[in-house]
Amino acid sequence: MKRWLALVFTLALNVPAYAHIGSKDVYEEVKAGPYKLFVTIRPPNVIPGVAALEVRSSGAPVRSISITPTPLTGEASKHPPTSDAMKSSTADPAFFTGSLWLMASGSWQVHFDIDGSAGKASTSVPVAAMPLSVLPMERPLGILLALLGVLLVVGMVGIAAAAVGQSRLNPGVAPGPSQRRRAVAASAITLAVTLLLVYGGYTWWNAEAIAYAGDIYHPLSLTPILRGNTLDLKIGQYDDARHTFKSRSNDDLLPDHGHVMHLYAIRQPGMDAVFHLHPAVASDQRLRMTLPSMPPGTYRLYADIVHANGFPETLTADLIVPANVPPAPLAAEDASAMPPALSQGELGTTYKLPDGYTMVWDRPQDLSANTASAFRFRLLDSAGQPAADTRPYLGMAGHAAFVKTDGTVFAHTHPEGSASMQAMMLANGGSGEMADIGTMGGMDMNSGGAQPIAPVVEFPYGFPSPGRYRIFIQMKHASTVETGVFDAEVR
Amino acid sequence: MSTSANHPAAFASPAAGAAVKAHSARIPWYVWTGVLAITSSSIGGAWDVSWHRSIGRDTFWTPAHMAIQACGVLAGVICVWLIAQATLGHDSELKAASVNVFGLRAPLGIFLAGWGCVAVLTSAPFDNWWHNAYGLDVKIVSPPHALLILGLRGISTGVMFLILAAMNRAAENDEITFKRLQRLLLYVGGLAVVGQMFFVQEYTWDVELHQAAAYIAMGIGLPLFFALFWQASRSRWAATSTSIVYTVFIIAEILILPLFPAQPKLGPVYNTVTHMVPAKFPILIVAPALALDLLWQRVKNWKPWQIALLSGFVFIAVLTAVEWPFAKFLLSDASKNRFFGTIYFQYNSRADGADRLRQWFHPDHGIVLYTGLLKAAVFASISTWIGLLFGRWMRGVQR
Repeated sequence: MKRWLALVFTLALNVPAYAHIGSKDVYEEVKAGPYKLFVTIRPPNVIPGVAALEVRSSGAPVRSISITPTPLTGEASKHPPTSDAMKSSTADPAFFTGSLWLMASGSWQVHFDIDGSAGKASTSVPVAAMPLSVLPMERPLGILLALLGVLLVVGMVGIAAAAVGQSRLNPGVAPGPSQRRRAVAASAITLAVTLLLVYGGYTWWNAEAIAYAGDIYHPLSLTPILRGNTLDLKIGQYDDARHTFKSRSNDDLLPDHGHVMHLYAIRQPGMDAVFHLHPAVASDQRLRMTLPSMPPGTYRLYADIVHANGFPETLTADLIVPANVPPAPLAAEDASAMPPALSQGELGTTYKLPDGYTMVWDRPQDLSANTASAFRFRLLDSAGQPAADTRPYLGMAGHAAFVKTDGTVFAHTHPEGSASMQAMMLANGGSGEMADIGTMGGMDMNSGGAQPIAPVVEFPYGFPSPGRYRIFIQMKHASTVETGVFDAEVR
Repeated sequence: MSTSANHPAAFASPAAGAAVKAHSARIPWYVWTGVLAITSSSIGGAWDVSWHRSIGRDTFWTPAHMAIQACGVLAGVICVWLIAQATLGHDSELKAASVNVFGLRAPLGIFLAGWGCVAVLTSAPFDNWWHNAYGLDVKIVSPPHALLILGLRGISTGVMFLILAAMNRAAENDEITFKRLQRLLLYVGGLAVVGQMFFVQEYTWDVELHQAAAYIAMGIGLPLFFALFWQASRSRWAATSTSIVYTVFIIAEILILPLFPAQPKLGPVYNTVTHMVPAKFPILIVAPALALDLLWQRVKNWKPWQIALLSGFVFIAVLTAVEWPFAKFLLSDASKNRFFGTIYFQYNSRADGADRLRQWFHPDHGIVLYTGLLKAAVFASISTWIGLLFGRWMRGVQR
């Protein structure tokens, strides 16, 4: 029992969340024809379970939205169950809520059918469903069940005694000494058998709990190997029991924004050096890159990948960068920043960039956990004016990483939202290949970044829990990729 | 209502001889209510399984759940009423025909049914927590569901004892009441057989009927009930009657449920469903049941272990001889109609699964099959023996 409790406790404390770390909810801004929806999907912690959905519509007025869950790929993706109507709020007709049953683990999508003043339209948002934690039993419920359990055991003993000692007597006849003796014996035997049954039930329950705990989602393992300034990354499965690592082929990884892996390296414990890097496939078993010059120290690695079925994962590992690594430049599409350490206090809403530009966060008054909002950032040139030479970075107006300072939350998101772009394309009829990417809202892959874009970027997101977060924002102007850093104290 | 009208012959003491004759053949309301409660939970159970196979999504308040809950409510009402009457009331006949459990009085069956109600009640918050902790109904057999089924079985056994005690008292001097109660007992016994077959259904799916496991499961589960009802009901056709109740119940389900439209409200959907999906065609347990009844009419003076040993082998031999070829028929095109119901598949039945392809699922052959069937016969003998002993004991139950 102790082992089991310890297991539950560990799981409750350390909740991974596939696409990101500790940030399972999906925040997505989608366009469906003339309608613009801000979608929040809160998947359950247990599968099968019920996901909660919220939609705020802007653009053309929306009358009704119906929702249908289907797996993202495979045979079952072709047979949707009947759809459910979302409820619109009486106070705010543009706000809709609903719930969906997700019956199996894996890569799902929620299909939205919208009806409104501009006719019908539809869109889909991917959502990954994985069992994440085991719920411990609250004490009052435990006590109630224990009391009822005792009543059942004692009741069965009393019934057995009455059955043996009295039930076969003719009506009105009082039990004699022999019946009483037999009743006592029956009570003792029944008590023993019932307790044995209770023990059997308890063993069964433990076995079910352990089997369930075995299904709890764990991301694939990531093993970094640094030789000189060459970093090799192996993806695989780590066997906790045997302390062995088994490599896994990387042939099912889809390129996301042109890269099969987006690797964030954040120096611990001060979060005072951050790198957004892009290792490339070197062989079936490993990804490789030349490490740019990095201040020595221990880095926490967060590696975003997307599997062919649209299932996104964030793999984590620690990397020790020694002082004597041969220097190398940062690759053109990579980014870095050296903000003040966490211990030096909270960063403000304006971040001075090394080349004289400034990034500004239009910080909301109130930052509370589990509240969906759009986080807006602006890029200003050295004269303090909106940067006229802003370009898309990796096909988007910007990239954001929301990282909790205790390491329990990491979410790499984009202007459309927190779902992976590849999964978004699979959900909306794309093949999951980069050729289709130009059709996505907010994306500008086809222009090749030649045309300037507005120096403003918005990220739909909600912090999963209260605490201190550091936010890293990448935007690009001319050929420079900037990383702005901001701190958030979330209630 | 007078006291004697409330508690007619069935519950009178032998001393109240005049009352016995005057009110003979009247079954008290609480017996009918108990029978209704068990019928409701049996229908609710079958309905609920169909609901999960056709629609998938449910709430606490689906009609199927309400039919099951109605069983608990009805049983609860008669338990509270009878315990109050026998403990606090002035009905001497009822008091005389009741047992004492921790100072409370009532017929033994009422305490059993009451225990079942508490178990059902306990299972509700437990099951709710289970869903939140480990996910919504993935398995039929989970600890909270086992407790629920145990509770429903408790209620059903309790009502059976309520009928049995009254029937045993009427056996001596009230033929009409005895016959009526005997029929009720066999009906309730038939529903218990339905429950038993429900419990082993994961082993007796039609595509699994060429596996020894199906016969082992039925060998363990059924002869106990047949022997028990034979002894307890004193009917020469107890096994046949109870197995007919099961057969009629399942065939009715196959004919009735698909009349109602239904659509899956859960994904993944692998099979388009437009109507409620019924159970698979009943196993032909009527054949071995009839064989057992015929056998028992000839060997009733044997020792129980001798009867049990022979019965176990007869049961498995007849069951296999009948069901083995019949299962082949169920997998053939000839059975694809509304009566045999092999045209119905649940919404999450995969196109490449054995059920949809109408193919045997891991069939057993040769030595594995024969040792499996031998095992089934031995289990069936032990099962019969336990049923005989307990059934004989039940014949003596008076209150």
